[in-house]
Amino acid sequence: MGKIKSASELSKLRQKILSKRDPKKPCITICSGTGCHAYASEKVSNAFQEELKKQKLEKAVDIKRTGCHGFCEKGPIVVIYPKEICYLQVKPEDVTDIVSQTIKEGKIVGRLLYTDPHTNEKIVHESEIPFYKHQKRLIFGNNRKIDPKNIEDYIALGGYKALAKVLFELTPKQVLEEVKKASLRGRGGGGFPAGRKWETTRNANGEPKYVIVNCDEGDPGAYMDRSLMEGNPHSILEGFIIGAYAIGSHEGFIYVRQEYPLAVENTEIAIHQAEEYGLLGEDIIGSGFGFNVKIHRGAGAFVSGESSALVSAIEGKVGEPKPKYIHTAVKGLWGKPTCLNNVETWANVPFIIDNGAEWFKSLGTSNSKGTKIFSLVGKVNNTGLVEVPMGMSLREIIYDIGGGIPNGKKLKAVQTGGPSGGVIPKSLIDTPVDFDELAKLDSMMGSGGMIVMDTDTCMVDIARYFVKFLSEESCGKCVPCREGLRHMLRLLNNITSGKGNAGDIERLEELSEFTRDASLCALGTTAPNPVLSTLKYFRNEYEAHINEKRCPASVCRELIAYYIDPEKCQACGICTKNCPTGAISGKKGIVHVIDQKKCIKCGACIDVCPERFGAIEKISGESIPLVPKSMKVKSIR
Amino acid sequence: MKREKTKSHFIGLRVTKKQKEVLSKIQEKSDLSKTDILLKGLEILDEYYSLGLDRPPLSYELKELEEEAMHHSEELKRIRRREESIREMVQELRDIDEVIDKHQGDKSALIQILLEIQSRNHWLPKPALMWVSERLNVPMSQILHIATFYKAFSLKPRGKHLVRVCLGTACHVRGGQRILEEAERVLGIKAGETTPDHRFTLESVNCLGCCALGPVMIVDDEYHGKLAPSKIGKILSNHT
Repeated sequence: MGKIKSASELSKLRQKILSKRDPKKPCITICSGTGCHAYASEKVSNAFQEELKKQKLEKAVDIKRTGCHGFCEKGPIVVIYPKEICYLQVKPEDVTDIVSQTIKEGKIVGRLLYTDPHTNEKIVHESEIPFYKHQKRLIFGNNRKIDPKNIEDYIALGGYKALAKVLFELTPKQVLEEVKKASLRGRGGGGFPAGRKWETTRNANGEPKYVIVNCDEGDPGAYMDRSLMEGNPHSILEGFIIGAYAIGSHEGFIYVRQEYPLAVENTEIAIHQAEEYGLLGEDIIGSGFGFNVKIHRGAGAFVSGESSALVSAIEGKVGEPKPKYIHTAVKGLWGKPTCLNNVETWANVPFIIDNGAEWFKSLGTSNSKGTKIFSLVGKVNNTGLVEVPMGMSLREIIYDIGGGIPNGKKLKAVQTGGPSGGVIPKSLIDTPVDFDELAKLDSMMGSGGMIVMDTDTCMVDIARYFVKFLSEESCGKCVPCREGLRHMLRLLNNITSGKGNAGDIERLEELSEFTRDASLCALGTTAPNPVLSTLKYFRNEYEAHINEKRCPASVCRELIAYYIDPEKCQACGICTKNCPTGAISGKKGIVHVIDQKKCIKCGACIDVCPERFGAIEKISGESIPLVPKSMKVKSIR
Repeated sequence: MKREKTKSHFIGLRVTKKQKEVLSKIQEKSDLSKTDILLKGLEILDEYYSLGLDRPPLSYELKELEEEAMHHSEELKRIRRREESIREMVQELRDIDEVIDKHQGDKSALIQILLEIQSRNHWLPKPALMWVSERLNVPMSQILHIATFYKAFSLKPRGKHLVRVCLGTACHVRGGQRILEEAERVLGIKAGETTPDHRFTLESVNCLGCCALGPVMIVDDEYHGKLAPSKIGKILSNHT
């Protein structure tokens, strides 16, 4: 393949690719995102290859390994085109049935379909599954249709059309105006208007100018940038090149976490292919505009996602933040103007160019336009990646898309915005999700992590978890963040281990304020958010821990005890066998008893106690009832 | 006893002048080859030993020879070992050179270079870091600053199997901490440590991006999802 030299050559190539492809030819797509990979989707894909070979169908059927489909709960996902038959939780053993029934005879394998938990109805097509039906898949939609390692798949779907339009029909200024008009806000956390950032870098003095894709997605529980980078790297590249053109930059960096090896691999391939096709490098599509991209792998530091720290890291130094008297947009990489945007932000750009700012503005709320990808995780039935228009309520996301809370438990709160965000209690879940509404509740959009918590979650423990995470990730450069977090963690450790004192809550509040006001970078200034928001909505839990030495959710280890209800115990002996410290005594027919001195509270017994007995309980804040020695089992059911 | 230093040799063994004289006399008289003399001598020694006689004629000289032979073979082994380790080190440094050349000796690629060394060796040996420091002309203090700042780097050798327990928020609310504690208990080490037999290194990570599987533990590249603490012992005992 030679280099594409004009816009018409690009559209000719697209026609050629499309004419070679028969839309009626069966195509088996297998999700190969990280979630499905963990479910061994590779084995499924190999099994398909073997089975097709065995049945002599390898020429009649295509196999495609796509990026993440988002419905990670039910992986590995297999979708068979052209009919879009969606099979979930496919195992290598199911492959023979799929090939011989669906591919050969056009029949559907019922047991692999999605079953609606409420109506028990089987759903055949992927887009009709409630998880997908309520979403608006704009940025993420192409993930399931393309092989990220093949640029032709992306071009066939209209890829790089926006780039050609920009290079031949628009001036850099016009591109900038279009993005500004669309009111695209940064998807990485802060929600700063992308167009304004671009303009600052464009107008700043100094050459060369640099642009950066920030894929240092460090928030625990958030993985949408990763899935996008792994599943559709060309969409990010296209937006990136358009941005560089508007800003007037000829060199860019993609900063990817070292923990994301597949993202690095697929992006490398994408860059290589784009260069081969003349879509990247010198003289892009024959327009005279040149742009080169390099990948920089991060080495594992949460704070490196902060713009000034990320810039230092690319320079080969320690990724520590610097005071921002002057923004990186003006003085960044090697002291030159540098525009840094998150993966999802760049991926939005081709859509804005293709469809126009007005169309983009029609999605979302008054100050937050477009869609947002969330990673819906935690205690929710349908874990996965969800893309919805801004302004959808938390309730719709959790119940309509997420399918509610598992095991018949009740919702307690939702945590958004990662370690810098806050918790939103159940009473406020009708809040529409956008940048401003979440900020009003003392939480934030962040990069889009959405962690659902049920009544078994202890809010003090969650605050402790985030403060621990942040104190470990604090670079230690400025005192308020380093010491403030350390002392907050100490107080929270005391509270969760039953050593809390009166006045600890006030001290926590005071420390939070100091850390927030005096820290150097956003890590420190937002670090107290998890504490402040849990205090705001769940102060009573803190008080129960301190005053009554009780953990209302029965989570904090030092405040709970495991107890076998003698009325329910059937002396089956399973817990005795599984107890790692031999703390449970009991014989056949004799009620089992936990020796509290030996018990390490690992919870193994509660996991193994048969559900129909449910004899083991967690007790908090009360004394453990005494069980008479050698008590006989009540009634064998 | 102090040995006279001499350059005299007897079948590769260092001998004193006096011993050499005695030996050449024997050789002249008996018309035997040097090796035969040595064997004969050792046989005599063996005979005397088996008879329980402790001061046989010639015993002193032969014992010396025996000791000398032992000494030489030990020395030879040591030299070979040293040669081998030098060869290994040269190979290692050549590999590092390759990495540095790939990045055209660019100082700003330091983190990338260290990442590649880390992924080849699974840790950063000190000689390697010194080499990088020399080649890139970056002070060792800066390299150590980076190597200790970022989590991906390890300055200690790692175990054969890497066990990673996810403590991301989603795994945390599903009991990831209990998984880590159980893994620590089973292996007898804390997170971040390596077992004394170098079989396992245990680490906690902050999100592996497969939240649907939580709580998750990864052993090498094998994912164990929706894990209960009671299963950990069995999983780990499958890895030798």
